[in-house]
Amino acid sequence: MREPALRVFAGEYNESTHVLKGEGEKTPSYVITPLGAKVNRLFIVGVLTDVENVAQEGEMWRAHLSDPTGIYSIYAGQYQPEPAAFLSRAETPSYVAVVGKARVYEPEEGTLFVSIRPEMMKEVDAMLRDYWIVEACKHTYTRMKAMKEAMEMDPPSVYKLKELGYPSLIAEGVVEALSAYGDVDIEHYQFLIKEALAHFETGKIEYMKELGEAEEKVLEIVKKCEGEDGALWDEIVDSGEKEGMERNLVEEALASLMDKGLVYEPILGKLKTT
Amino acid sequence: MSEDLGAVVDEIMKSVEGDVSREDVESNLRKFIDYGVPVEQAKQAVIKKYGGKQAVQVVQKKLGEVEPDDRRLSFIGKIVAIDEREVEVRGEKKKIFRGLIGDETAVLPFTAWKDFGLEQGEVVRVKNASAGEWGGQPRLNFSEWTEVEKTDEQVDLIKRKPQHYDIIDLKPGLSNIEVKAKLLTMEEREVSVEGTIKKVYTGIMGDMTGKIRYTSWTDFGIREGDVVEIKGAYTKSWRGAPQLIFDENATVEKIDEDIAISEMSKKSIPIYKLVEAGGGVDVAVEGVVIEIQSGSGIIYRCPKCNRAISEGVCPVDGEVEGIPDLRIKAVVDDGTGAVNAVFNRETTEKLTEKTLEEFRGMNDGEVEEELKNLLIAHPIHVEGNALSDEYGVTLIVQDAEMVTPAVEQEREELLSKMEVME
Repeated sequence: MREPALRVFAGEYNESTHVLKGEGEKTPSYVITPLGAKVNRLFIVGVLTDVENVAQEGEMWRAHLSDPTGIYSIYAGQYQPEPAAFLSRAETPSYVAVVGKARVYEPEEGTLFVSIRPEMMKEVDAMLRDYWIVEACKHTYTRMKAMKEAMEMDPPSVYKLKELGYPSLIAEGVVEALSAYGDVDIEHYQFLIKEALAHFETGKIEYMKELGEAEEKVLEIVKKCEGEDGALWDEIVDSGEKEGMERNLVEEALASLMDKGLVYEPILGKLKTT
Repeated sequence: MSEDLGAVVDEIMKSVEGDVSREDVESNLRKFIDYGVPVEQAKQAVIKKYGGKQAVQVVQKKLGEVEPDDRRLSFIGKIVAIDEREVEVRGEKKKIFRGLIGDETAVLPFTAWKDFGLEQGEVVRVKNASAGEWGGQPRLNFSEWTEVEKTDEQVDLIKRKPQHYDIIDLKPGLSNIEVKAKLLTMEEREVSVEGTIKKVYTGIMGDMTGKIRYTSWTDFGIREGDVVEIKGAYTKSWRGAPQLIFDENATVEKIDEDIAISEMSKKSIPIYKLVEAGGGVDVAVEGVVIEIQSGSGIIYRCPKCNRAISEGVCPVDGEVEGIPDLRIKAVVDDGTGAVNAVFNRETTEKLTEKTLEEFRGMNDGEVEEELKNLLIAHPIHVEGNALSDEYGVTLIVQDAEMVTPAVEQEREELLSKMEVME
């Protein structure tokens, strides 16, 4: 059965110190995060911050991908030809989506570093990045709820969590995490989710773009209608609406043009370009 | 340190049969304790040494009280059914026994890992069994350490109460199911079963949560469009998807009310549910495309058998003039599960807003680039029939559309949920 690609924040993933090793060839291994994500494969979207070829000879690309809660480490070598080729050309910063396998490096007993070995990498836009943040928040929230339930059980039971409607993967992960890590600082993850939700880009960027375009159009309208004494506020707004702009947007654009000193108000209710 | 072990020795003496002296028992027990073995464990060790019965602390339960993860269970039950089968355990063939055991509170499935000589209809006293979980209910395990003995006690079996399911939750291998659903389609056929002609009714039924294929082996006088309540049905896997079956052991009641049917084109289900059900009829899921597989793009089909061919050679019909076609094989993943999705020419053209002819004007690399650019990492809504095989669940896409996520709205919803949580 194909392992699903989990949406897990770096702030949660990087805290992992517990691994479930698969026995035999066909049993997969999992990184168990403190909040109970049972990670074999991940899907993440973040900002590619740096890329470096760390191999003495040949290719081994190390990249860092940042999300609102932390930074993932990504390693791609010759056996990941497509991601390696992508990284060799990638620009930083840029929004990048990654599907990859959870990897662990254990330099000594008790010390565990987690990273990602990419299967697919692709540059994406701000909308997909925001979508991912929301998805990751939702998945983290579900695990958080399951964890809270499990912490009230004595002993925590996979079966009871499933009866409450949690998927097997979450039920198993949460119970495993509780036995490996002991109690979990739920508040820490509430904080992570809130941080992440405060991090949206799409709205902001698109609105700024829209406003910029509106300003240009509105400035043209003012020039056309102003004559000697200036253009009437309502006339400008009406013309703007005829060109397909929202009333609010036209008014915002006018206010912004006045702030910038490109338009002024010689008489109350009339506007002129400077 | 000289503890008073008299009481412990007494207990051991009770468990040990035959001619054993108190002195021997006590000196043996003392030896274990001197080695730092806790008294309880030392006691068990001595009992074992003298061939006594392990005084395991058993939990006496009625079957209805058994929970998964229960250990050291003891109960009395009647063997309702038993079936022998061979399994491979660590490369070795082993005979195991599966069946159902019941009392007046429940009937539970069990697996016996050795031959206890159980027979259908017998009442047995079982000691030191354990319970696991299967399909959401407890399953008993009788192991090497379980004791089973026949008894003359009478056991009145519970009249099993059917369990109500929503259609979305039906997966193969369930029994004694109760569902309330509308018969969306019905076909009547005649089949020959061991020489006699039987009528069989098949079709698709649905409720608010989903749809499923059904087969009825009995004429219950029901028709397409009826809303029915079925008790005592069971499920099987049929052509890679779950199927609901009901026969003369079931009761079917026509209900005089209409129920809303799942409009799958609006509501998608979490992918893990589809994977657990092992497929389904007319389902919808939403997820991100995380892989475009080889064999996507322009393909050629054999004009005689419609199989995909390579280099103008059909595996069945030999050298043929292939007919160009378009398809996408992708993996759609929502973070809870993943399915393979196969898009035909129509859905591919709809998604890409490009026709087969336009794709034929591009080289293979360009086609691949185009599909990856458009789909990878992008959320998508797909509908169709899902089948499972050894590689997982495959959705044959009937309709699909790119999803424009309502990011702002979802963010607001999450924020308010978080506030409630605090």
